[in-house]
Amino acid sequence: MSFKVLKETRHFNKWTQNVIEQLRACEFLLGNSEDYRYAVHKRSQNVVICSSSSCHSHRLCPTHRTSLIYTTLNANTTSILALPSTCQYSNVQAVRAFSTVGKDEPDVYVDIDPYKLVEADMASLANDIKKQLNTQETLLKTMSHYYFDGKGKTFRPLVALLMSKACNISTNISDRVMSKQKTVAIVAEMIHTASLVHDDVIDASDTRRGQCSLNKMYGQRKSILVGDYILSQASIALASTGNPQVITILSSVLEDLVSGEFMQLGSKEDENERFSHYLKKTYKKTASLIANTCKAVAILGQCDDYMSEKAYQYGRNLGIAFQLVDDLLDFVSSELVMGKPTAADLKLGLATAPVLFAAQEFPELHPMIMRRFTVDGDVETARHLVAKSEGVQQTKLLASQHSQEAIKSLQEFRASDARLALERLARILLERKS
Amino acid sequence: MQSHALESIFFKLYSETSLVYLTKYLNVIPKIRSNQCHCLHFPNRNIIQTRKYASHRDAPKSFSKAVSDAEKLVGYPTSFLSLRCLLSDEVSNIAYHMRKLVGTKHPLLKTARGMVFDGKNNLQIRGLLVMLVSKAAGPNSQAPYTEQDMISGVYPSQRALAEITEVIYTASLIHKGIVNLKDIVPEDGPLIDMEFGNKMAVLSGDYLLSSACSGLAKLGNPDVVDLVARAIGDMMTAEFTETFETTNTSQISTRFTDWLKQTRLSLGSLLAHSCRSAMTLAGHSKYLEEMAFSFGENVIYAQQLCKEITSFTNQDEQTSQSPGSLAPVVLFRELASEDEMSYLLNYSPDSVYSYNKLLNVVRRTGALEKCQDLCVQYRNKAIASLDCFKESDAKLALINMVTAISSIK
Repeated sequence: MSFKVLKETRHFNKWTQNVIEQLRACEFLLGNSEDYRYAVHKRSQNVVICSSSSCHSHRLCPTHRTSLIYTTLNANTTSILALPSTCQYSNVQAVRAFSTVGKDEPDVYVDIDPYKLVEADMASLANDIKKQLNTQETLLKTMSHYYFDGKGKTFRPLVALLMSKACNISTNISDRVMSKQKTVAIVAEMIHTASLVHDDVIDASDTRRGQCSLNKMYGQRKSILVGDYILSQASIALASTGNPQVITILSSVLEDLVSGEFMQLGSKEDENERFSHYLKKTYKKTASLIANTCKAVAILGQCDDYMSEKAYQYGRNLGIAFQLVDDLLDFVSSELVMGKPTAADLKLGLATAPVLFAAQEFPELHPMIMRRFTVDGDVETARHLVAKSEGVQQTKLLASQHSQEAIKSLQEFRASDARLALERLARILLERKS
Repeated sequence: MQSHALESIFFKLYSETSLVYLTKYLNVIPKIRSNQCHCLHFPNRNIIQTRKYASHRDAPKSFSKAVSDAEKLVGYPTSFLSLRCLLSDEVSNIAYHMRKLVGTKHPLLKTARGMVFDGKNNLQIRGLLVMLVSKAAGPNSQAPYTEQDMISGVYPSQRALAEITEVIYTASLIHKGIVNLKDIVPEDGPLIDMEFGNKMAVLSGDYLLSSACSGLAKLGNPDVVDLVARAIGDMMTAEFTETFETTNTSQISTRFTDWLKQTRLSLGSLLAHSCRSAMTLAGHSKYLEEMAFSFGENVIYAQQLCKEITSFTNQDEQTSQSPGSLAPVVLFRELASEDEMSYLLNYSPDSVYSYNKLLNVVRRTGALEKCQDLCVQYRNKAIASLDCFKESDAKLALINMVTAISSIK
């Protein structure tokens, strides 16, 4: 990728390197399939992403509007330093002018409740899972049923069921969810829960969803074995679909989950690699399950490779947006409730998007990230600096861009309630407070 | 390059404990390599080989001889099956972290050592048995096949299955070695080390399980995924049964049927399901599937009875398992009079005297003999399941191995 440099700065070399590294991260985020252009805002050293379509057409979708307005607001002078040389709007004026075009475009929000659309299937979910986890051993039964009490968000099955519907309508098979697709939704929730059980042991957390965690109640050893048990029963359910491709797709998720957990163990020494490391980890730990579930139900709904890939892209972007919002809520959510953020991630030594963004404004965060906030006062200082920085807003911006990408992936699905619900889901997840 | 990676991993692991292991380990590397090469160039060498069938009489007596003969037949030393998994970045990462565990008493270290340097007792025979059963069953007569499809008489998918079986077993051992942090005693070492050991154990076990799952998926046969997943489920269920929960020696409820159930769940299920899956993968008949399943299950019963008799009668080999759950004592409960039961009720785990008294009374009731009889019965059942296969080197090797692992020393 070549850049036309409009204005040089003193720290040019170091800065460019940083930019290029972040662009790589962005490329990873958006996938390499399309030709994306990047505008870079210098002062806060953020990467603002805009897709090629915004440069060519005279209409801006909400994503590009946000990114460009954002750029403009912060750009007092010539703050856009580098643009791909191919971009036809390679100066600030053009971008500014451009941004005002999109400003008046109203957002189309459709008032549709995603949950309502698949209510019947969602309602029986917990029971279906419990049926799958049927065993004679009382303790095993109690422990394996523990988290399937119907109180969880069951976000993954919801996405899987809606995607099933959207796919089936697109391929003209049915307007309902097929039983094999429902099995995939169940498997997704089971894999997710098994991974939660294991994560809680690794992170030594005593609570989960406001109740006592399994490891706190029954000890670490049995919790891990229950996690494995849930996984084995999920595999049995998965095998019942009789589709080797679907089995392969969902099995690959397990490898992603483990390798994501491994990535979380170590932090990159190089500041520039950190963001892409974080994004890869986010994909593996969260987005992979959602993305591959979407792909699996699309295949079961007889979608061709192209459409299955679109379904996958929807899930991937939705998953990353979901996790980004999760990471920023760790800094803000409890602030509203308890007046003080919990910063649970920081306490675990994890540097998530808000911190990584903040570190660009406050380099003193870097050594803390490296030592995983282990020195007394690190967590407090980091929290304070994140609050002072634009880290949270920038994370939100990134999340909203992924949400928009997710919505874009749905363009080729036939218009239906299910598709609208998926679009709405991508929007409302940005607004969630917990 | 492979061997280099391994060297560094295990050097990291063992440099602080014992270099003996390392040298022992490095000695075997050329062996794998030469073996693999020979598989590639002469895939059928072992089939063509005209080797006189040894008669039952001169069957190798020692276990290691039986194993090494069997390994030659399948052209692949099984002890290194799960080692391939260890070559990944993730595990080298673990190995690096595990250095911190050296000197602590976390069970993960022991499992890791056993995984690479097979001790006398936990040699990885599962994979070997699966491959031998595959070879004994031979190619599917219905489906046309070329000699290239099979290496040393085993389909690649069956070989992969054998490897997966070992990986799953290892993963289950690692996960069972996780300790409850609230139960640890000061002698175990600092809490932080045990916590770290747990973390490593969770991750490495998960890593092995996830590679096993995706390996299984790649076999492209949903029935096999189902069978092996059931086996994993059984192994986990075994840790939650009442029999498992009861550690008290005087606990009188455990019957031999409970013992059988426990052994089937914790050990038999995996081998039985894997042997069956090997038949499924080759497209053999339901009848052969049943026979292979029964072979796997009965081998484990015979082996476990033999192990428990040895560990009950031979105090040196006494395991940490409390005698109350050992097969001879379980049978004793069914045979003993009320008077004789008192020995069990008064048994104190710390006293040698008390132990000897229990041993004598168990002998007197004939429970030990009955246990030995049962061991032979299960061995014969296992061998009888092989009747459906025609005579071959592989079948003979199976018989030799079963005999070796169920022979009471």
